[in-house]
Amino acid sequence: MKVSRLLIVAALTASCSHEATSDRSDYKANEPAPAVSTTGEATTPTPAPPSAEIRAAKLATTPIADEAKASAVNPNAAVIQDFKTRVDAYMKLRKEAVKGAPPLKETKDPAKIKAAQDAMQTQIRAANVNAKHGDVFTPEIIATFRRLLYPELKGDDGHDARAIIKDDAPTNVPFKVNAKYPEGAPVPTVPANLLVNLPTLPEPLQFRIIEKHLILVDEDADVIVDYALNIIK
Amino acid sequence: MRRLVFIAVLIATLPLPIAGQELRLPNKPGSVKFAVIGDTGTGDRNQVAIANELASWRTRYPYEFVVMMGDNLYGGENPKDFDKKFGTPYKPILGAGVKFYAALGNHDDAALQRNYKPFNMNGERFYSFKPQGGVRFFALDSNYVDKAQLDWLEKELTASGSEWKIMFFHHPLYSSGETHGSAELQRGLLEPVFLKHGVNVVLSGHEHFYERIKPQKGIAYFIIGSSAKLRKGDLAKSELTAYGNDSEYAFMLMEIAGDELFFQTINQSGKTIDTGSIKRVGKVDPTPARTAQPVVPQAKPSPVQPGPRQSK
Repeated sequence: MKVSRLLIVAALTASCSHEATSDRSDYKANEPAPAVSTTGEATTPTPAPPSAEIRAAKLATTPIADEAKASAVNPNAAVIQDFKTRVDAYMKLRKEAVKGAPPLKETKDPAKIKAAQDAMQTQIRAANVNAKHGDVFTPEIIATFRRLLYPELKGDDGHDARAIIKDDAPTNVPFKVNAKYPEGAPVPTVPANLLVNLPTLPEPLQFRIIEKHLILVDEDADVIVDYALNIIK
Repeated sequence: MRRLVFIAVLIATLPLPIAGQELRLPNKPGSVKFAVIGDTGTGDRNQVAIANELASWRTRYPYEFVVMMGDNLYGGENPKDFDKKFGTPYKPILGAGVKFYAALGNHDDAALQRNYKPFNMNGERFYSFKPQGGVRFFALDSNYVDKAQLDWLEKELTASGSEWKIMFFHHPLYSSGETHGSAELQRGLLEPVFLKHGVNVVLSGHEHFYERIKPQKGIAYFIIGSSAKLRKGDLAKSELTAYGNDSEYAFMLMEIAGDELFFQTINQSGKTIDTGSIKRVGKVDPTPARTAQPVVPQAKPSPVQPGPRQSK
């Protein structure tokens, strides 16, 4: 885990999280603003890196939004904000689409759960029938995501991440917008170091990485919202 | 004379398998009694064999609930699959009122399973529950360790005053498996939180074998992913390994009584393959700012059972 990752995550969260405010007036006025290059590497001198455990602990436990307040410069912010806007548009469409559908709620009858999921899937796909590749993942967003992920795919962590992506990887996932995620296919584990470098998604959206490609999935409905090819170099 | 020798040999050998089927847990009144299974959802005869043993052992050890390590349903997840891969194999236990608490594996459809009431996930990918007696269990979704989950975990652990904190999730943070190995990226995020808040025990699956890991930074780790699937020869004994078995299907019984957790790992024939206890040192201070690990699990063989044999 790199210090730069903390800065990137903090900035991403500030710009994408629903809880984070876009009002930057509450940033700590006296906090130095680290410059972040487009490759995600901090360009200002940084203190000696803490141990791996401390870094991980900080990443796992520090309120990221608070850290974001310390970051006054984020060249990716506009692109991430654009991503958030596109995700929000899907969520709005989704909310309208599932009105009237049986709720996906806890029951001992799996047939009812399956029926609710199928209905939700059908209604979302019908409402999103005109969706096309690139509605969410624009070329600019893909380029930014590549830059964010690239440092994490190097070294030991990168080796581990690539191994996880290959682990039980599904082979029959269609790279098609508004398609069903194949039933019974394994859910690829998203390497944690990659996930923390991507924007936080609202439930029930999730990122999944299939081979070198990133897909955005509506997990409740098992619908592929969009995909980004060759996100991993 | 020959007959006498034969009888003597019989007497010498017969008690061994019987002894292997003895309950090695104290079975104290008021203790927290539970079972652990992992990677179960095949619906095949191996799952059924373990399920039958689970039911059989409950007549001797009345565990109240079962925690599942994920991969609860392999392949299809139609209603009939829930029946074939869960409802039918565990019918005797379910009928006796035993509750199951599931974690999600990489073969599980989260939307379906978290809403399946018998899995007691309350519609969530990650959740906690507190059975009784100062113990809290935390089920995590190790497929997708995102900020939302980490924030939740931090909050739950901070608020928890439980004396025992037991995590269970699919991917093992420490493993000697050749196929998967340790989930080091998840470990990088989760372990510091565990250490900060004094987590005592971590249960996982994913690897289709049983491995008891030597305590890592004061936390006891178990892998029990062989309750229906077995990957023979996949356990490469390492410096992490306290005991391992990749040749037999298995499940675990556990009991928490005061400051001690007892465990007994049993194979598909009902024979005990590992047993021991974890002793807590001192009481857990629920103060959130605490950073030191107050509990030092010390897995040790049960005095009843000789040291387990290493399978590889």
